[in-house]
Amino acid sequence: MLRRLPLPLFVLMIYLFLYAPIIILVLFSFNSKSFPAPWHSFTLHWYRELFQCTELWQSLRNSLLVASTATCTSLFLGVCLIFFQSSGGRVKKFIPLFYGSLVIPETILAVGLISYFAILHIPLGLVTLMISHTVIGLGFSIPVLFVRYFQLDPRLKEASLVLGASPMQTFFRITLPLLRPTIIACGLLTFVISFDDFVLSYFCSGTAVQTLSIYLVNSLRFGISPVVNALSVLLLVLTTILALIFFSPKIRTRIF
Amino acid sequence: MNFFTKHVSREIPFAIGIPALVWQAVFFYIPLLLIIFSSLWSLSTEGIFQGLTLKNFINTWDYIYLKIVCNSLYLAVSTTILCLGLAFPLAYFIAFRAKKQKNLLLFFLMIPFWTNFLLHIYAWFFVLEKQGFLNTLLISLGMIDSPLHILNTPFATMLMMVYYFLPFMVLPIYSSMENIDRNLLEASLDLGAGWLQTVGKVLFPLSLSGIRSGILLVYIPAFGEFVIPELMGGDKQYFVGSVISQFVLGNHTAPLGAAFTVMSTSVLVLSLLAIFVVLRKLGEFFTRGIA
Repeated sequence: MLRRLPLPLFVLMIYLFLYAPIIILVLFSFNSKSFPAPWHSFTLHWYRELFQCTELWQSLRNSLLVASTATCTSLFLGVCLIFFQSSGGRVKKFIPLFYGSLVIPETILAVGLISYFAILHIPLGLVTLMISHTVIGLGFSIPVLFVRYFQLDPRLKEASLVLGASPMQTFFRITLPLLRPTIIACGLLTFVISFDDFVLSYFCSGTAVQTLSIYLVNSLRFGISPVVNALSVLLLVLTTILALIFFSPKIRTRIF
Repeated sequence: MNFFTKHVSREIPFAIGIPALVWQAVFFYIPLLLIIFSSLWSLSTEGIFQGLTLKNFINTWDYIYLKIVCNSLYLAVSTTILCLGLAFPLAYFIAFRAKKQKNLLLFFLMIPFWTNFLLHIYAWFFVLEKQGFLNTLLISLGMIDSPLHILNTPFATMLMMVYYFLPFMVLPIYSSMENIDRNLLEASLDLGAGWLQTVGKVLFPLSLSGIRSGILLVYIPAFGEFVIPELMGGDKQYFVGSVISQFVLGNHTAPLGAAFTVMSTSVLVLSLLAIFVVLRKLGEFFTRGIA
């Protein structure tokens, strides 16, 4: 109890470390003069400029398209696998296969995938991006979905079957609704992971297609610009909204 | 006929369930096996397959490549240790000390975890650049005369690594600490153990599972990381990730790249095992004399 003061101070310092750059970034997105100049006056000019940048919107559209496809595909495949398990399949011993994507660094998976696509003559582009992001999505959602599935009370399913529902009805009326919060949480997580991903996108996108992360890296190489500040603020707002949904009591499930 | 439909309908769940496993096999395990196979290929200068060889592996046993693997090892180990050092007290605070603010603290820890990490890199760029926020502020305050060179140094790389990976370490440790009965800590303190003893003999061993998953989540990606060193460290040092990408994207160097990938992945796995052994020994050392 001697150390009552230093610990909160330490925690405060860490949060300051985490948030100071972001706060500075947000503040200067409203500054009317471009950066090296100090604070001048409030403006939304950079946001207006942001909306005229077609390359940016193109890459944002690609990112959203890839992230939503990867999310839907991996969730669909995951739910199908759960359906197989719940109708008597023995999937449990295959689940560790999906942990692989957590253990292998993304760079290595990406490298394997591009040589594979080259051998199969699949041109790099949106399709290869969707395929690779689905792999990552499966690696995150299937273990989580199955942990939750095995936590469900088996008596609920048995009661439904005993009372005359078919296995199909039991799955859609009992199992699936019980899993819904986990499915939503996994979906959000997969979406965010895919949306933020750089390494896989960098390798699997080819030269023609750009995702938002690749656009950001390219603009980083040109140094700082208030337009990118404005973009960052918009992304932060979007993320906070998603995180609020994730943290809402209805959906809140333990991911870790 | 009835017999036939019976058999087919029995296989329907299998047919519905199996695509997930097929997907994982086709787009995850086959590409990884492909890396291992292609590390044995010998290509002619025109890039034509000529046969199998171990030459690629012999070529990766070179001072330059071993140095690069050591760079990555150093980066991953120091990031993990720094993150662990910061995350352990923070997780303790959130799990045991913060009461009303617990959810708020967790929420604000999750936000960086959800935002695009390039955005964080950009934020630090903005602060640290030669004409960035920090230099401008310090000059206008008259504390320095010429801008400090912070960007493009190993320090900037390390700062960004810790900044990015910290939440990945805190969350699992917090999770395992939350399951610890706080009476255990109080009992240890009441029965005369000092603060350090309580941390070493009670808190640390009980949160070991969280520490382990935190290390997995930080160490593995940190080892393969190349974007942060490239953007913050300014390409002065080479790391495993960047070398692999250059090899594989280069002309006919894919087999050598694959051999390097296999070599560095085995270093990664072996070093991870070593870390876990050290962690277990550390736990045993702290709890020695306790049944």
